[in-house]
Amino acid sequence: MLTFIGLGLYDDRSITVEGQEALRTADRVYAEFYTSKLIGATVEELESAHDIEIEVRDRAGVEQHPEEMLDAAESEDVAFLTAGDTMISTTHVDLRLRAHDRGIDTHVIHGVTAQTATSSLTGLQNYRFGKATTLPFPYAHGADGLPASVTDTIDENRADGLHTVVYLDIKVGHERADEDEYMTADVGAELLAEAYPDLVGVVVARAGSPEPLVEAGTMTELADREFGEPLHLLVVPGECHLLEADALVELADADRDTLDIV
Amino acid sequence: MLFTHAKWIFTAADGDTRRILPATKHYPFDPASGNEGYMGRRKKIVQECERLMDEPENIRNIAIAAHVDHGKTTLSDNLLAGAGMISDETAGEQLAMDTEEDEQERGITIDAANVSMTHEYDDTNHLINLIDTPGHVDFGGDVTRAMRAVDGALVVVDAVEGAMPQTETVLRQALREGVKPTLFINKVDRLISELQEGPEEMQQRLVSVIGDVNELIRGMTEDMDDVDDWTVSVEDGTVGFGSALYKWGVSMPSMQRTGMDFGDIMELERNDERQELHDRTPLSDVVLDMVCEHFPNPVDAQPRRVPRIWRGDDESELAEGMRLVDESGEVVFMVTDIGMDPHAGEIASGRVFSGSLEKGQELYVSGTAGKNRVQSVGIYMGGEREEVERVPAGNIAAVTGLRDAIAGSTVSSVEMTPFESIEHISEPVITKSVEAQNMDDLPKLIETLRQVSKEDPTIQITINEDTGEHLISGQGELHLEVITQRIEKNQGIPVITGEPIVVYREQPQQASPEVEGISPNRHNRFYISIEPMTNDLVDTIKLGEASMDMPEQERREALQDAGMEKDASQNVEHIHGTNILIDDTKGIQHLNETMELVIEGFEDALDNGPLANEPVQGTLIRLHDARLHEDTIHRGPAQVIPATRNALHNALIHGKIKLLEPMQDARIDVPNDHMGAASGEIQGRRGRVDDMYQEGDLMVVEGIAPVGEMIGFASDIRSATEGRASWNTENAGFEVMSDSLQREKIMEIRERKGMKLELPEAIDYL
Ligand SMILES: Nc1nc2c(ncn2[C@@H]2O[C@H](COP(=O)(O)OP(=O)(O)OP(=O)(O)O)[C@@H](O)[C@H]2O)c(=O)[nH]1
Ligand SMILES: [Mg+2]
Repeated sequence: MLTFIGLGLYDDRSITVEGQEALRTADRVYAEFYTSKLIGATVEELESAHDIEIEVRDRAGVEQHPEEMLDAAESEDVAFLTAGDTMISTTHVDLRLRAHDRGIDTHVIHGVTAQTATSSLTGLQNYRFGKATTLPFPYAHGADGLPASVTDTIDENRADGLHTVVYLDIKVGHERADEDEYMTADVGAELLAEAYPDLVGVVVARAGSPEPLVEAGTMTELADREFGEPLHLLVVPGECHLLEADALVELADADRDTLDIV
Repeated sequence: MLFTHAKWIFTAADGDTRRILPATKHYPFDPASGNEGYMGRRKKIVQECERLMDEPENIRNIAIAAHVDHGKTTLSDNLLAGAGMISDETAGEQLAMDTEEDEQERGITIDAANVSMTHEYDDTNHLINLIDTPGHVDFGGDVTRAMRAVDGALVVVDAVEGAMPQTETVLRQALREGVKPTLFINKVDRLISELQEGPEEMQQRLVSVIGDVNELIRGMTEDMDDVDDWTVSVEDGTVGFGSALYKWGVSMPSMQRTGMDFGDIMELERNDERQELHDRTPLSDVVLDMVCEHFPNPVDAQPRRVPRIWRGDDESELAEGMRLVDESGEVVFMVTDIGMDPHAGEIASGRVFSGSLEKGQELYVSGTAGKNRVQSVGIYMGGEREEVERVPAGNIAAVTGLRDAIAGSTVSSVEMTPFESIEHISEPVITKSVEAQNMDDLPKLIETLRQVSKEDPTIQITINEDTGEHLISGQGELHLEVITQRIEKNQGIPVITGEPIVVYREQPQQASPEVEGISPNRHNRFYISIEPMTNDLVDTIKLGEASMDMPEQERREALQDAGMEKDASQNVEHIHGTNILIDDTKGIQHLNETMELVIEGFEDALDNGPLANEPVQGTLIRLHDARLHEDTIHRGPAQVIPATRNALHNALIHGKIKLLEPMQDARIDVPNDHMGAASGEIQGRRGRVDDMYQEGDLMVVEGIAPVGEMIGFASDIRSATEGRASWNTENAGFEVMSDSLQREKIMEIRERKGMKLELPEAIDYL
């Protein structure tokens, strides 16, 4: 049995009770933190909080050599952990399909993800979001400057009046950097300002932590501010419903005149 | 006299009999006068050069090029002495242009050397900027680069040996650059005094040398529509004869001027009255007159040469400045050589095509950001550099301060399309490792190696990531020996060098089916196939006739001319080494922004072939289709690079990739009774003898053998023939190794590189 468990957004307490129970009864626990990471708890803290041992796998260990995990899952209860939810931005459906290929039962226990937290914190309605996109570090993708896929996504969504969640790149255990790197919202806004200097963006920082922050401004303005500890993401609002506009003004300190209100 | 003028009316290709200008001449500085000190004389010459630099009509930029040992440097000495720059007595012994200690020791030229001199011809003083080039095939890169700087090539041929392999090579190098050739047949003294040839015999021999050279010129200029007949002829005055060692020369115009014909000359030479021969018909006059009369000046040459070597907008002001050799235009300077001066540091020399170089200028250097400041400008006087105020268009200059420039850089006062890169046809074939004996010297060694690769682009320097040792790859054993010796001697860094290792290649032998490459997360897929390229296509890329730097239209045409289908030529996405990537996909979302990673994966696969991590050559890759993840994060380098790298290795294996080894053409001249031993030396090295024939009293053995087996050839052939053989080798590209040797050689290389000693299972055909 292979159980995919989302750890939620912030620390050892962000997991659901169902997830916690499954975790405590698992025979073996694997985790990956290269796609995302809990900012509020280290692996050791997770281990002691849940009284388990976690085997952390790197990208190759999950994508190229998943056999060990799958072998274990054939006879034992194996849990596979990621931050957020295991199937949303982390796209571990491939691992699930491989398990099915081998006739292994799988089970998914959901976690809170940045996607839902964003709606919750900004007041922008879940129904009015278009495609999401990730803004990569300039060195990490195959072209210069802002990738077209990012601007295309924002442009298409805006043409339809929809909001866009722009995830900001994180590099954990990357060969080019000694330390983990998190793109902060000011850096993201600065990149986006190349194409959209006057567009309004909303920063969501530390969603799921005790001190989340939500702040609106034009990309140029946001590029000059600081938003504290990671993780950050940006939202580009499309057309705003009246109540959405009220929420942005109240919760994110947005300037009403800059919003596209319908 | 038996030998009269009439006999020397050989028919020129077009039967043209041109009027031969009578020449009056006197030396501006008489070296024999002796009163004036050397320094004073030299200073005057520099002043005179400076004055003449502003008159492009009276400038000649020339290179002396020939097969090894045919007498280029001895001839250059004669010209220097004739111009009063070295004493007449020492000319020929001094070898003033072979300034390096190792050159003097080995008796060969290693570095091309520049010198400027003046010569009065037809009542006008001329400035001659001359480059003496090396003849040894290992230093052929210097010849290629020198040809970019000059407009005329004086091709020297040894009368006894005749046209040799390197004669052909240097002619080709000259003609490719649009440089006009003339011919000087040297060592004629040997025909007379040593071989005791009679007039008939001698004439026959000389005529046949001229015929051979003309045949080469004709073949190489056939397709050049920007030159008319460039064959040489005695009656035109584009052929000279003589002895650089004994300093006499003769040509049709000189015979008319001095009244001395070949008969007189033979008599004096036979009677050992060489001094008189020199006094009456000095070699320098013959050659320098020929240079002034028959080589184009920059104003004639640049309009023809610039379109050949520069692909910028020919309507632009820059183009106009270069056509007019405009000394007040924008500065355009092509660096053809980088040298080191113990005091002044790095010196960039090359050709000023437009504008004037002056101290303090801030100039762009192609391929680098920012500008370099000119610290000094000068000209060459023999081995030394003489600083001058300015060097205007049409001249060869020596510049300090251009710290970012490498041999081949374009340096200019405005940003511009750089000149075509100077491609040397022969790739490095042999590698040696170098390590500093003392770890403390490591930084200095790294710095020196960086300098070496700046100076000589035919060298490749790589770091073996596993062992940390530095690998120098070059044109031959001598090339590497000279370089490592210079590192030790000139830089004072004791080094340990490894055994020479041959550089191999890998190439598929047939087309592959379509192969799928899957990224580790399995969200991205690439569909590719490969096929081997024709030699024509490979050569076109090697010669730089098709590259990614040139305008698309031109590249397409060049590729189509080499036989590529039209569709493919329009979809060329990338060229790496001699490999081409064709993008046959249409409208795939996100592929554009992923292409750099796709290419990175391909390049990695090509640099490290699937058999033995040797470079892959001559492969056409087609990208047929791709499926990409929506979000950049899931199609980053960690996903795309392994996907395309593995796909390409897979496709290459399906294309039955095999190992290629570099080959060398060898020509051995040997007395009859040692012929068996000589041909045995080739055959015993997995070689093949292609031809054996008599030439004079010697037998010539021609053949081909692998470079790897030719290591140590020099000493073996010497002992096998009791030192009676002379030989030449020339790199002859790569050939597929025989099937029976493939696996063994691959394993040997893998072992040396610390790779796994088993091949991927799919390689079941070796
Ligand atoms: N007999 C005779 N020997 C000559 C003549 N010219 C040159 N040599 C000899 O030929 C040898 C080679 O002369 P170099 O001038 O060094 O030849 P090179 O072409 O510059 O040689 P590389 O630069 O090494 O290719 C020397 O021993 C010269 O003395 C000549 O006219 N007659
Ligand atoms: Mg020489």
